[in-house]
Amino acid sequence: MPFPLPYHRLESNSMRCLPRERLLSAAAFLFRLLLRNRRVGATALLLLVVCVAANADEPSFVRDVKPILTQHCAKCHNVAKQESGLRLDVGGGLLRGGDGGAVLVAGDVANSRLLRILRGEDDEVEQMPPEGPPLGQQEIATIQAWIAAGAKVPEAELKLKVESDHWAYQVLTRPSLPAVTRTDSVQNAIDHFVLAKLQAEGLAPSAEANRATLIRRVSLDLLGIPPTPAEVDAFVNDARPDASERLVDRLLASPAYGERWGRHWLDLARYADSNGFTRDFGREIWKYREWVIAAVNSGMSFDQFTIEQFAGDMLPDPTLDQLIATGFHRNTLINEEGGTDQEQFRVDAVADRVDTTGVVYLGLTLGCARCHQHKYDPISQREYYQVFAFLNNCDEPQVDAPTPWEIAQGVVDRRDGIRGQIQERETALAAQAEEFTKKQLEWEPTIAPDFYRTLPGPTQAALGKKLDKRDDVEKKLIVELFKTTDAAREAFPLVKEIADLRAIEPAIPTSMILRERQELRETHIHRRGNFLDQGDRVAASVPSVLHSLATEASEATRLDFARWLVAADNPLTPRVIVNRFWQRFFGRGIVETENDFGIQGTPPTHPQLLDWLAAEFVASGWDVKAIHRAIVTSATYRQASHHRRELDEVDPFNKLLARQSRVRLDAEIIRDNALAVGGLLSRKIGGPSVHPPQPEGIYLFTQDPKPWNTDTHEDRYRRGMYTYFWRSSPYPSLMAFDAPEANVTCTRRVRSNTPLQSLTLANDIQFIECARALAVEVLATDCDHDGKRAELLFQRCFSRGPNELERSRLVELVAAQRTAFSQDPDAATALIGGEKPDSNDIELAAWTAASRVLMNLDEFITRE
Amino acid sequence: MNIQQHHLLHTTRRHFFRDCRVGLGAMALGSMMNQDGPFAAEQALDATNPLAPKPPHFKPRAKNVIFLFMAGGPSQLELFDPKPKLQQLEGQVIPESYVENQRFAFLKKDAKLLGTRRKFAQHGDSGQTVSECLPHIASISDDIAIVRSMSTDVFNHGPAKFFMNTGFNRFGRPSMGAWITYGIGSEASDLPGFVVLQSGPRGPRGGSPNWGSGFLPTTFQGVPFRGKGAPILNLDNPAGIDAARQGDFVQAVNDFNRLRLADTHDPEIATRIAAYEMAYRMQSSAPELMDITDETQETIELYGADPAKPSFANNCLLARRLVQRGTRFVQLYHTDWDHHGNPDTELTGTLDKVCKEIDQPAAALVKDLKRLGMLDDTIVVWGGEFGRTPQGEPRDFLGRDHHIEAFSMWLAGGGVKAGITIGKTDDLGYFPVEDRVHVHDLHATILHLMGLDHLKLTYRFQGRDFRLTDVAGDVVQKLLA
Repeated sequence: MPFPLPYHRLESNSMRCLPRERLLSAAAFLFRLLLRNRRVGATALLLLVVCVAANADEPSFVRDVKPILTQHCAKCHNVAKQESGLRLDVGGGLLRGGDGGAVLVAGDVANSRLLRILRGEDDEVEQMPPEGPPLGQQEIATIQAWIAAGAKVPEAELKLKVESDHWAYQVLTRPSLPAVTRTDSVQNAIDHFVLAKLQAEGLAPSAEANRATLIRRVSLDLLGIPPTPAEVDAFVNDARPDASERLVDRLLASPAYGERWGRHWLDLARYADSNGFTRDFGREIWKYREWVIAAVNSGMSFDQFTIEQFAGDMLPDPTLDQLIATGFHRNTLINEEGGTDQEQFRVDAVADRVDTTGVVYLGLTLGCARCHQHKYDPISQREYYQVFAFLNNCDEPQVDAPTPWEIAQGVVDRRDGIRGQIQERETALAAQAEEFTKKQLEWEPTIAPDFYRTLPGPTQAALGKKLDKRDDVEKKLIVELFKTTDAAREAFPLVKEIADLRAIEPAIPTSMILRERQELRETHIHRRGNFLDQGDRVAASVPSVLHSLATEASEATRLDFARWLVAADNPLTPRVIVNRFWQRFFGRGIVETENDFGIQGTPPTHPQLLDWLAAEFVASGWDVKAIHRAIVTSATYRQASHHRRELDEVDPFNKLLARQSRVRLDAEIIRDNALAVGGLLSRKIGGPSVHPPQPEGIYLFTQDPKPWNTDTHEDRYRRGMYTYFWRSSPYPSLMAFDAPEANVTCTRRVRSNTPLQSLTLANDIQFIECARALAVEVLATDCDHDGKRAELLFQRCFSRGPNELERSRLVELVAAQRTAFSQDPDAATALIGGEKPDSNDIELAAWTAASRVLMNLDEFITRE
Repeated sequence: MNIQQHHLLHTTRRHFFRDCRVGLGAMALGSMMNQDGPFAAEQALDATNPLAPKPPHFKPRAKNVIFLFMAGGPSQLELFDPKPKLQQLEGQVIPESYVENQRFAFLKKDAKLLGTRRKFAQHGDSGQTVSECLPHIASISDDIAIVRSMSTDVFNHGPAKFFMNTGFNRFGRPSMGAWITYGIGSEASDLPGFVVLQSGPRGPRGGSPNWGSGFLPTTFQGVPFRGKGAPILNLDNPAGIDAARQGDFVQAVNDFNRLRLADTHDPEIATRIAAYEMAYRMQSSAPELMDITDETQETIELYGADPAKPSFANNCLLARRLVQRGTRFVQLYHTDWDHHGNPDTELTGTLDKVCKEIDQPAAALVKDLKRLGMLDDTIVVWGGEFGRTPQGEPRDFLGRDHHIEAFSMWLAGGGVKAGITIGKTDDLGYFPVEDRVHVHDLHATILHLMGLDHLKLTYRFQGRDFRLTDVAGDVVQKLLA
């Protein structure tokens, strides 16, 4: 039919904004008009549009507006895509607006940006939709009429909550235990789930590992320290039916358990002793490490453990410990390079806190939504910044963290007294400011180039400027620098007095904490992740696909967020946390992608087992030790780890758990184990970081050499977790064995197998020291038979005796070494680090060489 | 050990090969595992080397990369990009249109333009423009491609170095050397696949993450070689252990490991046995590599090297020796290019000094590779993390701030088109106006030359397939020979 275009549009669209019968008569009337006279017809059409816009019969969102949006807009502005953070598939989205803020103002047509954009009249945004024909006049008029009438949306259309049927977002329920036929292989509930699956695959589990292997395994897993030969003996000969349970209880009560599992947590917390980036200055936050160890040892429930770390400062009357706990999110990097925009790096640190929280607790890659809608999981960019808002409102101070002993001894009072005296002198010095500046300006040109080079970048930059060009910070930098010079001290006795007072001021440990600001920092969406391009303001909230957040305040706080993370109805945290426990005990999680429980993650191999453990964890009151106990006393955990050829064919990665896995020890544990076997390991818990020996030449590859005064006494032999960690130049033997770089959270360590590891174990001075110490111990026993000593050496290193072949190979090795060293006694003296030759050197060297071989074996660095 | 026991150990050795073949085959570590025949056992051992060469995505133009990293940000306006107009406008405040949305490390928006004090001339048959600061590099003009339109995203040293190395401005991503060795392994059988060398007054800012493996296995991280003493940490035997006794040691370790392998059938043990053997070889091959006294006097002089003193010149020669031995990726850092205008960071004397340190050796490297027939297989890259501003800094001496919009680099060899300059900047040298080459584009191009498609070289981490080029990068076709 040859209708002109405007009429055609009217017919197809105006039906939605007029009652049917009225429209029909209007259309019939128009039709007749048009047939008769086109000009009059067009006028009438205009009239009708005006009439529609001002229609007393109010436009309905669902009937009139939504179909237009669905047709033209929802392809891009739907829940999955949310272009520009805007949803137009649901009324609530229209009212909420997008990244750039509101798109309409109810009742105010002139200030409703949506209309401008649809007409192509907006300054920033091109006419929408970008593809396909623009909306017709009539369609726009319909939307306009709806806005003019107050933009009302029915209740059902307001809901923006996202639904998902992905397994990990579903409510957690405790599954019942599947029946199994092999009841003799069941130790506890865990085994039901594993055996049921093996049964379905027609596979048998492996036999229980022998007792010696078991005690070594569980000691290394729970403590990171091997059992002594006496402990092995006692367990092997313990005939009581609950021998294993007793062993596990003893280990769970050991303070070394807090070190071992505390270190796992520090991986997640990206703990280090320096600030990172280019300058990488040292920082003091070891009190946080102490807190973690103590919390784990005390059996603190995991929900409390979480709340204190996320928001200890917001608890009523927080204790010093609760403040120190907030160090969890202070382990982010600080860039001290000259010429940095501090806000940029603060924002990056907050983003890191969001990413870390997402990965550590929720197994969600929230960070993917920093610049745009998450590509896979139902998390919008707006939601990312809503979570960001929880963590965007803290100051980042340092607090005094004295020990109770220091407080009792009055150290804090003495320190404060001296500080008072310093303050008095500073005030007196300020009165001489003019004279001071004069002397300072005389001194500046005399700075020697060699000294200048040693100065930090910001100081150099400040010196490069004339006095009046320096800002306040720069002025202060130079004043403080000048005060360190003889010139200043001679001219101003007060400067010297202040320096002398500072020298006797007692040092009290400090720690880095979070402190909530009184005045809220506004959080905006950062368009495309650029913090300089701020979009709509958001309030703190959580992703809508997850359980809802409870708050008593008008705006939800960081404390509410912490409680939300460990709420009983959180479907993710318990699953993610128990899965990570499992990973540490078996080398692989039930969900292999331990940091991604989202759509892209791998599904669990044993979903019911995962849910059972998670439900049990919550029901136990988040009792970590209880879950660890359940896992290590299960028959599944206790199986032998030997490969079985028939299994390797069907299940090469041991996903079905028909055996245990051989797992290479973590970097710190490799050294701890060597120290323990050599009898050198210090069992001191906590304290500042230490400096064990390291090879020379580490700092040729960093901007600034780092202070490293190698410790000589007990601190030389502390557990690896206490080794000072410089982010730009980490301790080399830790890094050779895949310790995390501590720049971002690490939820699973890689286990590489490289020649550099061989060089470390074979030649690093610390491992030679351990081999020598072991040889000394073996020689100190009153047996002088090589075969017996070989037996002892094996016991010490592997918690088992050698088989026949191993024994003879070791005896042969010792004999050959003895001969070689006899021919070259100086070499023997050198190997054992003797200062002058001694008749015992050759024997000690031969056994040192033998110990060194055993300490380099795969078995030595592997948990069987 | 008696004969019978020897026999047993020998049997275990055979078992080792057989078992390891089954175990590894099941894990599908390589197609070679399905082979059989006289060499199957040796190949099984090869497959225990995670750095073994792997086929690229398509036929490569180059096999190796030597990246001469000029840390600090060399001034393109003094070296490769002459701007007569900037000269004329010296002393004037930069027009606001240039800087309205720009951020700087130290400069304010009202900084004044600064012309160069250096003279430029055209060189070689190709007539490429290089300043008087770099006469030796000028002499290889016909062998290099100069890019005047490089640009990057971040203006602080640490983040910008991470960006140039990993395509991301924060920590945690793998570096280019790690990506390439992950992609195609290394042909070096007794040296690391990715080696880092350092010269200049200090190490590069940011340190180890610049050559880290990020979320890739640690196997692929760069190994720093020191210029003095043992190049690799713990390379030397402990006191009292000579080469023969170290040999006994390795043999004993591997004998025991084989016994354990026979018992547990865990293929990781096979890998560890191979690692000990390679470590032992490295103990002699690395010092042999570092000892440049076996080079001819003529070669030593070509580089301006001095075997007694670590230097960039020595490192350039070492880079060539590494590549000769199959190392896939060599990165040389030379620090001290951060010329802000302080007494020891200015654009006259201190720029001369650092230019002199690198000019002859860098040119010698290209010449040497060329005469040895290795330049066709080796990409040489020269450049820093960013360039320097057309505005001068208001300090006591001549200096410029960090500039990310436009700076210069050069590449040579390995399928790079020789004797060309690509990219053009505006009259002030502020923005590229032709052929902008972003860092991601440079990465895509280097991977392309190595036979790798930057879109396909991925690694799944936290549910996402990561790339060196993040979500960007185009191969710069004009750079390809």
